Amino acid sequence: MLQITELKKVFKSGDTNVLAVNDISFSVSDGQFASIIGKSGSGKSTLLSLLGALDKPTSGHIMVGDKDITKLHDRALIKYRGRKIGFVFQSYNLVPNLTAIENVCLPMEFAKVPKKQRLERAKALLTQVGLSTDQQQRKPGRLSGGQQQRVAIARALANKPQLILADEPTGNLDSQTGKMIFDLLHNLAKTENTTIVTVTHDLSIAGKTDVTFMLRDGKLVKE
Amino acid sequence: MNVISRGIRNAFRNTIRTFSIVLILGLIIGLSLAMLVAHQAVGQKINSVESSVGNTVSISPAGVRGFSGGGNPLTETQIAKVQKLAHVTSVDESLSDRLTTSNSNLVSAVDAGSLGQRFAGNSGQSFTPPAGAGFGGSESGGTTTFTPPVTVNGTTDPTNLSTTQGGGTFKLTSGKVFSSTSSDNVAIIGSSLATKNNLKIGSTFTAYSTTITVVGIFDAGNSFSNNQVIMPLATVQALSNQAGDITSATANVDSITNVDSVTTAVKSALGSAADVTNAAAEAQTTIKPLKSIQTISLYSLFGAAVAGAIIILLTMVMIVRERRREIGVIKAIGASNIKIMIQFMTEAITLTLLGSVIGIGIGVVAGNPITKLLVNNSTSSSTTPTPGRGIGRAFGGIGNSLSSVHGAVGWSIILYGLVGALVIAILGSTLASYFIAKVRPAEVMRAE
Repeated sequence: MLQITELKKVFKSGDTNVLAVNDISFSVSDGQFASIIGKSGSGKSTLLSLLGALDKPTSGHIMVGDKDITKLHDRALIKYRGRKIGFVFQSYNLVPNLTAIENVCLPMEFAKVPKKQRLERAKALLTQVGLSTDQQQRKPGRLSGGQQQRVAIARALANKPQLILADEPTGNLDSQTGKMIFDLLHNLAKTENTTIVTVTHDLSIAGKTDVTFMLRDGKLVKE
Repeated sequence: MNVISRGIRNAFRNTIRTFSIVLILGLIIGLSLAMLVAHQAVGQKINSVESSVGNTVSISPAGVRGFSGGGNPLTETQIAKVQKLAHVTSVDESLSDRLTTSNSNLVSAVDAGSLGQRFAGNSGQSFTPPAGAGFGGSESGGTTTFTPPVTVNGTTDPTNLSTTQGGGTFKLTSGKVFSSTSSDNVAIIGSSLATKNNLKIGSTFTAYSTTITVVGIFDAGNSFSNNQVIMPLATVQALSNQAGDITSATANVDSITNVDSVTTAVKSALGSAADVTNAAAEAQTTIKPLKSIQTISLYSLFGAAVAGAIIILLTMVMIVRERRREIGVIKAIGASNIKIMIQFMTEAITLTLLGSVIGIGIGVVAGNPITKLLVNNSTSSSTTPTPGRGIGRAFGGIGNSLSSVHGAVGWSIILYGLVGALVIAILGSTLASYFIAKVRPAEVMRAE
């Protein structure tokens, strides 16, 4: 269960304060696929950063399961990010000089998973997202956009997170590949019982998620 | 794969950049090692010179220089005071005398020539040769034919003959030296004198109307010294009726740095009875260029090390800025600052160690030639060998030996190089580490 209560984030821009996230409250149940939509600058990515503990809110609470992540100190936040959250980015953000399998192993290495186990899980995940054995040994530069995003999804799932945060995961892909990636995320949400929150501009994708939140000027205007 | 292996692998992400940085670092580390080699080699040479050359104080009776001037001889009692002074390791005593045709059957190996005749004639207006101590020569029809006399030196230090009258590099060509405490009627003679008088080891000659046995023959490399007779001090004192007299002494000092203080102490101990001189200033002048090289090499070493650190620092800062997003992503998926810093530090160490391998190669090849180049350029422009007697000649030898400095890259230098490279890598990574710590993972989202 993801529970957000009266969440605020204020950025300083020169002498003025910018309210990027303005008093937002909502909740998403375990295994639900939620989407956040809104125009550029509406606060979608900021909200995702706060949910992923990449940034700290100015006020408010984020409960993931029974833990309020706004109260965690830096070291606990690193642990939380590594073990409880998976990230999928618009431009994949794979480490370019590591192979697909090494990229998937990376979060497990930081979570101190033994080498043998992480190799086995990485292979299984990459197979699950549809990468052949040969493709698993390739570096990102030798994979297509869709394949790279599959690797990114496998990396996000590596530590069996409670929550996957996806920032425009289909934004850099053609519509057909985007649909395939969306279906993949959707299926994973069900099979792995993982909560997925995705930011998207694509209303057709948003329409297929379990719940959609619309942001405007940092405020939640529609659920 | 862990942070260390990832760091090593990252060092080769951009082949051209890696090659360029490693080459530049290699040249810098090579230069550092060459400077370290020069610094050490020159330092050893300076220590060697300071402890072995120029660390003597010459003592002679006031007003006397060789067989010129006047005054009274020193006594062994006076020399004993010198022996007791601090920093004086030993005192070599000698008594110089001239053999005359009346008390020796030796024939001088040096022809008078016009210079000898002039020296014999310019003895001073009121000079009256002492009775029975006339120079070698003969009188015929009112004309004196001058023959340069044979000098006899009584010494307590027959093993260090270069400090005796006449200077030069004394080399025993046959026979042996007598002991420093000997009072036997034995002698070591110069090679010219031996040839002129047809003397060999075991031959005898007459001096002070006493039969003397030749035990050794030396070659000093110059005609004046090779016309001398070296005998035990006690023997010369006894045969020449100069018991306890000393005409020159050399106090050996433990280090060149103490020579001036010992000179002052000797002057104080002997007062106006002795002329006391040293060649420390001359020796210091001689080794001054070496000290300049030592300073230059030290500054160059630090300069090169700082340049290396700056290069690796700028490289790492550039790499961190270039991989800012990657750092953010890695932080987002659970890496701590420390892990990322270790990864980048490993990358810096890998680059620096590769550079140090090339640098050590350069140091091994160029260390000695650079040292020699520095020493030769410096000493040839500032060291002028001093011709002449005694210590002056000896310094001609120092000047030559200064250029014999040999620098070699030993294991200690290689170890210094590797440790230095590690320090450079760690110092060079510090600013990069600061930038790593400042990267906020949220920036990855904003960059989307």
